[in-house]
Amino acid sequence: MTSHIKMDERVERDRLAEMVQAVIGKPLDRPEGALKVSGAAPYAMDRLPANACHGVLVRATVSNGTLRDMDVDAVQALPGIRAIIADDRLLRNPAQGMAGEAPIQGPKDIAYFGQPIALVVAETFEQARHGAQALKLRFEADGTAIVAPDDPKADIETPEDEQDSTGDLDAAMQTARHTVDAHYTTPGHVSAAMEPHASIAEWNGDRLTLYGSYQMLRFNRAELADALGIEEKQVRILAPYVGGGFGSKLGIGPEAVAAALAAKALGVPVAVAMSRQQVFESVMRRSETDQHIRLAADEQGRLIGIGHEALVSNLPGEEFSEPVTQATPFLYQGDHRVIGHRIARVHRTCAGSVRAPGEAVGLTALEIALDELAAASGIDPVKLRLINIPQKDPSQDIPFSSHMLAEALEEGAKRFDWDRRRSEPGAVRDGEWLIGMGMASAARVNMLIESKARVTLNANGTGTVETDMTDIGTGTYTVLSQIAGEMLGLPMDSVETLLGDTAYPPASGSGGSFGAASNGTAVLLACEEIRQQLCERLDCDMQGLTLKDGHAIVGNRRIALPEILDGSRLVGEGHVEPGKAEETVRQATYGSYFAEVAVNAITGETRLRRMLGVFAAGRILNPKTARSQCLGGMTFGIGMALTEELIHDPRDGHIVNRDFAEYHLPVNADVPQIDVVLLDERDAWANPLQAKGIGELGICGAAASIVNAIYNATGIRIRDLPATLDKIIDGLQSRTD
Amino acid sequence: MTISVSMTVNGKTVSGDVEGRTLLVQFLREQLHLTGTHVGCDTSQCGACVVHVDGQSVKSCTILAAQANGTEVVTIEGLADGATLHPMQEAFREHHGLQCGFCTPGMLATGYDIVRRLPDADEARIRRELSGNICRCTGYHNIVKAIKAGAEKMSAA
Amino acid sequence: MSEGRYLRPQRLDEAVDALKGGGWNLVAGGTDHYPARVVEQRPEDILDLTGLTDLRGIGEFPDHFRIGALTRWTDLIEAPLPGWFDGLKQAAREVGGVQIQNRGTIAGNLCNASPAADGVPALLSLDASVELASAGGVRILPLADFILGNRKTARRPHELMTAILTPKPARPARARFLKLGARRYLVISIVMVAGLLEVEEGRVAGARLAVGSCSAGAQRLPALEAALTGQPADAGLAMLATPEHLAGLSPIDDIRADAGYRRDAALILVRRCLADLGGLR
Repeated sequence: MTSHIKMDERVERDRLAEMVQAVIGKPLDRPEGALKVSGAAPYAMDRLPANACHGVLVRATVSNGTLRDMDVDAVQALPGIRAIIADDRLLRNPAQGMAGEAPIQGPKDIAYFGQPIALVVAETFEQARHGAQALKLRFEADGTAIVAPDDPKADIETPEDEQDSTGDLDAAMQTARHTVDAHYTTPGHVSAAMEPHASIAEWNGDRLTLYGSYQMLRFNRAELADALGIEEKQVRILAPYVGGGFGSKLGIGPEAVAAALAAKALGVPVAVAMSRQQVFESVMRRSETDQHIRLAADEQGRLIGIGHEALVSNLPGEEFSEPVTQATPFLYQGDHRVIGHRIARVHRTCAGSVRAPGEAVGLTALEIALDELAAASGIDPVKLRLINIPQKDPSQDIPFSSHMLAEALEEGAKRFDWDRRRSEPGAVRDGEWLIGMGMASAARVNMLIESKARVTLNANGTGTVETDMTDIGTGTYTVLSQIAGEMLGLPMDSVETLLGDTAYPPASGSGGSFGAASNGTAVLLACEEIRQQLCERLDCDMQGLTLKDGHAIVGNRRIALPEILDGSRLVGEGHVEPGKAEETVRQATYGSYFAEVAVNAITGETRLRRMLGVFAAGRILNPKTARSQCLGGMTFGIGMALTEELIHDPRDGHIVNRDFAEYHLPVNADVPQIDVVLLDERDAWANPLQAKGIGELGICGAAASIVNAIYNATGIRIRDLPATLDKIIDGLQSRTD
Repeated sequence: MTISVSMTVNGKTVSGDVEGRTLLVQFLREQLHLTGTHVGCDTSQCGACVVHVDGQSVKSCTILAAQANGTEVVTIEGLADGATLHPMQEAFREHHGLQCGFCTPGMLATGYDIVRRLPDADEARIRRELSGNICRCTGYHNIVKAIKAGAEKMSAA
Repeated sequence: MSEGRYLRPQRLDEAVDALKGGGWNLVAGGTDHYPARVVEQRPEDILDLTGLTDLRGIGEFPDHFRIGALTRWTDLIEAPLPGWFDGLKQAAREVGGVQIQNRGTIAGNLCNASPAADGVPALLSLDASVELASAGGVRILPLADFILGNRKTARRPHELMTAILTPKPARPARARFLKLGARRYLVISIVMVAGLLEVEEGRVAGARLAVGSCSAGAQRLPALEAALTGQPADAGLAMLATPEHLAGLSPIDDIRADAGYRRDAALILVRRCLADLGGLR
């Protein structure tokens, strides 16, 4: 018995608002918090069976070519070595998000430095690693491989359906009163989820159970089955606790397939944990970008033209490419528009989704450009944005589902004391520190993904939610329990949410900020189904049923749920699908960032002093988890602005800084006082919850507010991220020379 | 070559056979099944593996199991008093000092150590003392808040 | 093939005796050991030095301090030492985080000889020497002669570092350590500067400055040291430092910063260090 909805139109009825349990929208603690603070939440590698063998992946040390042979015998002779797996089904690239089929396989054809090419399996991890390091390999390298997107010999693709143009931007640039025409570059980034990828594979006959660290289990199951050449129903994946994802665990990875192949070959469970260095080299990077932005504005600062043309990179044969310009078509007005997207084919680690693919870097560059326009036109940066908010999507000529950018800008400016900012750069000094303030808009497209969930109202009056959805730290356990609690009138401790098992109904998975809204809708629908069944038992209509504190209230009767259930249980399933609403209206989330920095006039060091984010994402299901998402997103933005940068060796493209010593994530002291304000909003076009995604909004443009603050502090415009001290000092010196 | 080691872990005497190259973290996880101590970075940066050895916070990926022979080790599993969470654990839970939870055991071990050494540490000092622990989810904010709250709870206890 | 031996001697003579055989991977605090072996093969035979408890601790002698080789950074930070150790203590607080300071040893930092080793500039400014023991006896080398380059030292395979010796300054002295990196903590340095001034009657009677991360090994700045001697000990010392004084450095371009920036930053940090030192009471 499934309750189903396809989002073809607005859902006028606000079901949650009709409920009375009052757990939705409350800053409730995580139900799994106690497990996590006790070290009792089992992550992938915590489920090691006693008889398991360990596998360690071996990597290619050329960027393009062929693996000719391996000195298998010498390693086989080492103590404890059980097998060397060099199966053609090993993955060459990890799967992209929502692929649902095997990615490119076949480890012998080398496409990038660091590509996994074999698995050494031994009785202990130490033996396996020793064997993997001792394995002698012979490659036939293709010395002509292109490893840098700016190599003039690079093959550049210009996909036709990703170019767009209206009006005449060139002419607009010539006649406009104020213009910006500049290139912005961002380096590669990594998700750097704290839990490295790990899988334990165990076969029972022809059935495989995999404990893994993955974000989208229904897709991962299909990808794994396809890679192994078996049926989906033979595969079960469990990932009840995932130590962070941020895109890196969207698609099945090389360690899962390798573990499954080895476990099958040896007839014992096999665990494969990647080292951090292997995660850097063989999972996913965010592509570096080169963005050409053109802005044309009239005397009053009103935009008449916007051009945003991006060059990104990926391996040959990969379909994904960083959708840099995703928010540009609808964020600001302007009749003359150009969108460009080009992909350089390079032999570097596979590029894929890293938190907020597209807007994270695209909006950052656009918002730096807006700041340049503000400086050029002498218009306050907040005001410049306010006057350029379009009334409808200017590219598709469709209405917005809801739009809170103006509110976010105004609220942020007020709370940050923006009016105290001095508009001329370099005007505020505190000893050897130059002080500045900057801001930026936030925007991220909103998505809905097909999702299912099952809810059971148990005979004892408790509720159980089951779905193969994951909680990658975002708070899925919490918000799904809240939705079920609200809809069924159950206190939080009467609801249990079970996640991360493909034995449960298939969900959207965690990604693209769509998890809570998509899967939460499925839970809401499943609860509606149960409410319907209760009505039948109580012989009342839906409007007449109130559920609260484990009781049903109908008319003047108040009956405990176990009494109604009378030893039975009620099961409801919910199923949501995206529909025409996607095309009828433009759906997005919006916000604003404000940052204050101090830049050392002597060394060029930047210290972020305070930062504010104001966000609107429809109904906020839980302000505690939502706020934490925003804090984390903004901290990604701090890294993007100041420290994070993948560096590739120009000779062979290998990642030089493939660990946390050299890839600089923000550490505690890099993060100052951050405030997050969540605005009240409902979006009836999004889904019956009227909630939108918030997991990525906090990074979309955040870095620009910091870079813009550096400009305000120093007069130095950084267009090549991150704004490291050497780039700033160069500017400071050339100004004093 | 096999080495016999014996140590006190979370108040219990344990022993086992390890190789010279076996790290304490592997001994804890694989032989004692104390899997709350995590490996996150392989370069001693992230602090997900912090435990207490003879009362000092130590990254258990920088110490050989054999070097811990004869010591007293406390892991995340040894912080609670039976079913009652330690005040610091309670504070992390309450103040949302975690998201994915992977760095949490190390953060807690460090937080507990900070408060024990510096009961009056202010926010700036807590941030400095947390320099050896990385979190990618939370932006650290709630972690610092949790440690401050934990300090108050610990001094009240 | 590896034998996977493990030895944890309790006495120095046992350790020295074992070293005669060679092939050992020496492990003290272990903080550099594990990160290194994740990515490359290392000798699997481990000589664990942590049983040599006599080598841990700091002792005062009439004309010098003796820092046992296995003294940990935390031991140093917590030890009651004269003010001229402040630079070394500041450096100690920059080594990794607290947990690394609790395990990492000073000798380990020196023997690994990373160009970015936090301990080296401060110890150079203290004019430290190192004591090396072998079956053949003991020899003492100035630290400047011990570190030969990137990951290269004068330690012979059969030798073990047993102590670091720091002479007491002849006059009242003050010391500082400064470090610049890309983020606040857990950084591998872009530039480090350590300085020590001996002051008599308001004037610099002796100066020692060392710069790290700007050469294969940290380096003293003898020309600047000479220029400072005899000058009034105030914040104005900063402006006596010129680019020429740093001519002996040979910074490299690497992923942390380019050579030009390193050279500029080194001068800035040297000046800041001198301003601090001169400005002290």
